[in-house]
Amino acid sequence: MLVSRLWLNKFFDTELPPADKLAEALTFHAFEIDGIEKAGDDDILDVKVTPNRGHDCLSHRGIAKELSAILKLPLAHDPLGQRPDLSQATHDVKVLVDDEALCPRYIAGVIKGIKVGPSPQWLKTRLEAVGQRSINNVVDATNFVMLNLGQPLHAFDAKELMSRDQVHVISVRRARPGERLQALDQKEYVLTDSMLAIVDANADAPIGVAGVKGGLPAGVTEATVDIIIESANFNGPSVRKTAQGLKLRTDASARFEQGLHPSLAGYGMRAATDMILELAGGELRGFVDVYPAPQQETKVSIPVDQINTVLGTQLTEAEVANVFKRLGLMFDFVSRTGTYEVQIPFERLDLTIAEDLVEEVGRIVGYDQVPAAALPHVDKESEVAANFAAAEAAREELAVKGYSEVYTSVFAGTGQRQVLNKVGGGKSYLRANLIDGLTEALERNLPNKDLLGLKEVKLFEIGTIWKDDKEEIAVATISEKEGFKEWTLEPKDNVLPTNLPLSGAVRYRTFSRYPYIVRDIAMWTPAGTDEQEVLETIKKEAGELVHKMWLFDRFEKEGKVSLAFRLIFQSFERTLTEVEANEAMEKVTSKFKSLGFEIR
Amino acid sequence: MAKEAALTPRGHLHPITSLVREARGIFSKLGFSLAEGPLLESEWYNFDALNVPKDHPARDMQDTFFIQDAPGYVLRTHTSPVQIRYMEEQMKKDIPPPYRIIVPGRAFRNEATDMTHEAEFFQLEGLAVGEDVTLAHLKGTLEQFFKELFKGAEVEVRFRPSFFPFVEPGVEVDMRLVGSDVPEKLKNKWIEMMGAGMVHPQVLKNAGVDPEKYQGFAFGMGLDRLAMLRWGIDDVRLMHSGDLRFINQF
Repeated sequence: MLVSRLWLNKFFDTELPPADKLAEALTFHAFEIDGIEKAGDDDILDVKVTPNRGHDCLSHRGIAKELSAILKLPLAHDPLGQRPDLSQATHDVKVLVDDEALCPRYIAGVIKGIKVGPSPQWLKTRLEAVGQRSINNVVDATNFVMLNLGQPLHAFDAKELMSRDQVHVISVRRARPGERLQALDQKEYVLTDSMLAIVDANADAPIGVAGVKGGLPAGVTEATVDIIIESANFNGPSVRKTAQGLKLRTDASARFEQGLHPSLAGYGMRAATDMILELAGGELRGFVDVYPAPQQETKVSIPVDQINTVLGTQLTEAEVANVFKRLGLMFDFVSRTGTYEVQIPFERLDLTIAEDLVEEVGRIVGYDQVPAAALPHVDKESEVAANFAAAEAAREELAVKGYSEVYTSVFAGTGQRQVLNKVGGGKSYLRANLIDGLTEALERNLPNKDLLGLKEVKLFEIGTIWKDDKEEIAVATISEKEGFKEWTLEPKDNVLPTNLPLSGAVRYRTFSRYPYIVRDIAMWTPAGTDEQEVLETIKKEAGELVHKMWLFDRFEKEGKVSLAFRLIFQSFERTLTEVEANEAMEKVTSKFKSLGFEIR
Repeated sequence: MAKEAALTPRGHLHPITSLVREARGIFSKLGFSLAEGPLLESEWYNFDALNVPKDHPARDMQDTFFIQDAPGYVLRTHTSPVQIRYMEEQMKKDIPPPYRIIVPGRAFRNEATDMTHEAEFFQLEGLAVGEDVTLAHLKGTLEQFFKELFKGAEVEVRFRPSFFPFVEPGVEVDMRLVGSDVPEKLKNKWIEMMGAGMVHPQVLKNAGVDPEKYQGFAFGMGLDRLAMLRWGIDDVRLMHSGDLRFINQF
């Protein structure tokens, strides 16, 4: 979520630290920061709010509250501090909620006689800083409140809803299959009966998809005079499925799908109403609040001992109490049991068990307070799975025979089991054998035989296959001379072979993707010639285009030694030409001739 | 004529194999056994038992490979299901904790591939459960592991808060190598290594282990990434390329 530093500062009486300090505080005590950008005199932090904190932290207030706890700065203006006043009732609108599991709360607020117009500059600046487009004072107010508190809101043009006996009726019900909605984005969406619709009941016409998007016909325009504001609570999974079904993920759905507390709707409604009255004038007619089963407050107990035995720390009661205070959690301490009884603020839906509070303490004091400790010794033999032992034994046997190990993809063009939903399609089966993959690997490697200095390409793989309704581990080998073999890995016991070698490689070297050229040179050398010196001379004469070279043949006859070298020409930048290789070889040949060597 | 090599030269092993061997060696000294599990896994073991509820975004179609005619099964999205399988199996055999295992193996994410992302990748899972296993032990264990793996380097490990449904608290683990033997690219830099945390009590319960009595840590690190850091490999796709220009360097 994009968060503005200046916006955050509105929650405090003191100047917040610079953006990089805020980012550091959040990184080590709350959330990762995906980036910081300047926007005029503001700084915008991209905060990666974790899925367990979508209830409260997809909002500037939530992030400010975190910073307050982390930086020990009291929150001077907490919009969730005082209960919202929704006592003024109205009969202008009626709300019918069909399915309270999908819509635990629905509040409608009515304001008449407003003047829609452009937003004041400060509001435009705030919204634009976090990537939102300013539309008009009413829509901007609802967006501002959502970004401020995390509660999505919507405003309908009341005159566009049918009125019967001067009463509008909003019903929240499942859509009928095939029901259509022209949404604010000018697109038409076809709904299904798994989706929840907001309906103008008098006209029996959908005016919105619950928690996702409002409809175009009842949208607020410059001509709007009377509005109905919606601040509701919708079931998270249901909103998520609907947004997915419509391929329409919105700022609203992204918040609802995390699961919000119904109480937040009350705060959102009051804040939006006040802001609209201030920006657009009009008369507040009142609210209708359908909230059949208000959620109870929760408490979680946590013994101080448990915090320390989970974290491996030695925090005192006072230090723990201090964390709770910083987080604004109300608590009682039961000294007899050394336990804190913590009252959970409604918006912290993530805090349900003792371990959740352990995490709160751990992250707020900082995980750098957790020491590094060695695990105590246990009297249990370390074992290995039988398949692993068998695989290691097979590997060793094959490596000794000159086979090199590859891992190929488990996805294949054919097989007995098919993947339903592979991204990009192609190779959508689970392999039923290793040999197809190995054959491909062999063919890919053959052209590089000279480059690799191999006499023969020999490969093996140990891996999972799916055959005859079974998942099993297979072993397969392939070589140019001996063809291929594949068999099932048979686990014997849990005993690993001893002295399994490790790779001695230090650094990997990128290889060139361009073709290479092979040239050989053979020569008679006088007895006592240093092979290394010959190699050096070749290297010097042939120049930089030689990728590698080695002695591949050597024999003696009548006191003379024949040496044969293989040179591989290859570039990292381009495909070399035969001419280039020939020119280099020409230089090598003439050099050795001048030294009196006989080129064979 | 030619001096034909009498002995066949030894073949090369895949770097992941070598890394798993080395990791097993280090962890076995700390009392960890090595366990394995199937790649085609039930949704119970892959998700539900790990406290990832039915409506969790991670269970959405785009992340997970589903299989035709095998409802309720997925290509495992992590090696964590083996945590449950192992603990369950031990409890069935009446063997209570302490448990210490590592689980190397393949896992799958249904996403497009590029130089740093692969749809199939290798993970190394770790689990330690006992009466008094703490987050401090996690830090100590990982420090020890990295110290032995990056021989000669001073290793620092730090935690940042994070979230995974199967741990609480959950942390992101960063590592920093200091010292003269450290490759320039890695020196003095914090590198994100893995997700970890204290096993969620619900996960222990789902595996039949009493969370009132036992607690523990778990971690899951990407082996491809570890191999890439260790040897300076620049493209994760090489791991499954079957290309000996790559393999034969190890």
